[in-house]
Amino acid sequence: MPLLDIRNLQLEFGTGRDAVRAVDGVSFTIAEGETLCLVGESGCGKSVSALSIARLVPTPPARYVGGEILLNGCDVLKMDQRELRSIRGGVVSYVFQEPSASLNPVFRVGNQIKESLKLHRPQFATDDEVIRLLKLVGIPAPESRIRDYPHQMSGGMQQRIMIAMALASEPKLLVADEPTTALDVTIQAQILELLRDLKARLRMSILLITHNLGIVGDIADRVAVMYAGQIVELSPARALLQRPLHPYTQALMNSVPQLGHELDRLQAIPGNVPNLGQFPRGCRFHPRCPKAQSDCSQKAPELVEVEPGRWVRCPYWK
Amino acid sequence: MGTFILKRLLHMIPILLGVSLLTFLLMSLTPGGYLQSLRQNPQISAETVERLLAKYHYDKPWYVQYLYWLKNAAQGDFGYSIQYKIPATDLITARLWNTFLLSLFATIVAWCIAVPLGIWAAVNKDSLVDRACAMVAFVGLSVPEILLALLALMFAAATGWFPIGGAQSSRYDELTTLQRLWDRAHHLVLPVLVLAASELAGIMRQMRSNLLDTLRAEYVTAARAKGLPEGWVIYKHALRNAINPLLTIFGYSLAHLLSGAFIVENIMAWPGLGRLTIEAYTAKDSMLVVDSVVMATALLIVGNFVADVMLAWSDPRIRLKE
Repeated sequence: MPLLDIRNLQLEFGTGRDAVRAVDGVSFTIAEGETLCLVGESGCGKSVSALSIARLVPTPPARYVGGEILLNGCDVLKMDQRELRSIRGGVVSYVFQEPSASLNPVFRVGNQIKESLKLHRPQFATDDEVIRLLKLVGIPAPESRIRDYPHQMSGGMQQRIMIAMALASEPKLLVADEPTTALDVTIQAQILELLRDLKARLRMSILLITHNLGIVGDIADRVAVMYAGQIVELSPARALLQRPLHPYTQALMNSVPQLGHELDRLQAIPGNVPNLGQFPRGCRFHPRCPKAQSDCSQKAPELVEVEPGRWVRCPYWK
Repeated sequence: MGTFILKRLLHMIPILLGVSLLTFLLMSLTPGGYLQSLRQNPQISAETVERLLAKYHYDKPWYVQYLYWLKNAAQGDFGYSIQYKIPATDLITARLWNTFLLSLFATIVAWCIAVPLGIWAAVNKDSLVDRACAMVAFVGLSVPEILLALLALMFAAATGWFPIGGAQSSRYDELTTLQRLWDRAHHLVLPVLVLAASELAGIMRQMRSNLLDTLRAEYVTAARAKGLPEGWVIYKHALRNAINPLLTIFGYSLAHLLSGAFIVENIMAWPGLGRLTIEAYTAKDSMLVVDSVVMATALLIVGNFVADVMLAWSDPRIRLKE
């Protein structure tokens, strides 16, 4: 049994005729110790899918229309508030995009970490344990840092604090929602290095959400590419990077600048990401797709396993 | 924190100097004066008037008068009220105390009702309670204090439950200590309620929107993601941040209370600083006008200072900037 098994998740914002389906039939699994990268442009539904694992999307305005989110075999969508609180932090922890906004500005960082400990490992809610966690995420002189307020730290330090806070409860799954997007490039590399190191040491599963294919190769075991609320390609990371199958994935890869290649200009994907709720008929990518055929605008393709472990939502992938 | 407080205290001095100078200048620019009007009285000889003018330095240019005033004020002597014929210091102290009592209780009443209501409205957004609060706030913001004060007077006159004006009854001196306390409280009720009612609506709406803002913040989602119970998320993580802008408003609300007190004191005959200022101005008792304006300013500055200190205590980011 995989640690996380999302089956045909459907989520809408709003009600009735104005309802907008932000996540439409998303399914993926994460095994214990595995790292899955969820890749896609802004507004493709990747963050909402990830927040759904602990049911953190506010309802209303959102509404779960269908599907199951099995965490350790229990459906998160059927849990009551008490059960939800025990899995939040207890089984799945989150690291968010903007560390300066995700830490509460008026509490000392040590206390914010201790709060997690009190909830999930009360016998370890001590300064010593907080210091151990800060050392684990590579904060220098942790003894003097626990009494700092978030604004006294740099962005990279703040993100390390967020990671320490997420790890405090010893979760089985760490969800990192664009953890490096708000940081400098050099700090990005450090944070990714830290995540990879922690994953090996703590045998955690990681769900890493990113819009940057560049970091996929560093850390991911498998990759799911999302477009307009659907997964369009799901594949082992190495295979996907070597030979992307879906036209959207190929287009994404072409738009990543590469060192050592002489290129006149970067390849951009023509057109725009469709707005939520205004998805085109048939394949949602067909208006921007270089390989589109005449029937792409008529028939919505299914996600099909075309090679062992490789799933593609495109009948013309060859 | 110590240097922060010291700095803020030192900031008060130039403000008080500026306000007193400006008031002095404005008073000297208006024609006439209390003593000058004595000249019209045939029973008072011209020599007496001249003597009085000289005694209180009214015969000198305004800046010389100001320097005399400043010199005495620095020693705690705020001059002499020629209208009341007693030292201005005694007069001001009594009136300042009355205004302080009125503002203090109005603040307490307004905040103790507005803050919980605002929180309740934010947590139960769009509920019936929220809508009812919005309605009440709308009415509260629209009705001017003058009208409220007049209505309160009508109410007191019609029911006889509360005294109509004043701060104490005429037989105050015959009462025991406990009865005196009760008598003063009884007189305070209506002015306090009128003043508080005009404050309440604004604070309530502000509290509501602050809390709604912080409830949308990412650190609130992060707190939820930790597995904190919803009550902790709202009352610890969100509310603690929603309070900060409200502390800034505390300073403004004090200014509003003081100006409101001017109106309420005059209509409800509350012997406070606001009433004194207007009486002194009407009688052209210029020294007293300057004194009361300076006192009102001091009250306002101290209120803002208290708000600043509370904000610095509540928000670590402010403390560091200073």
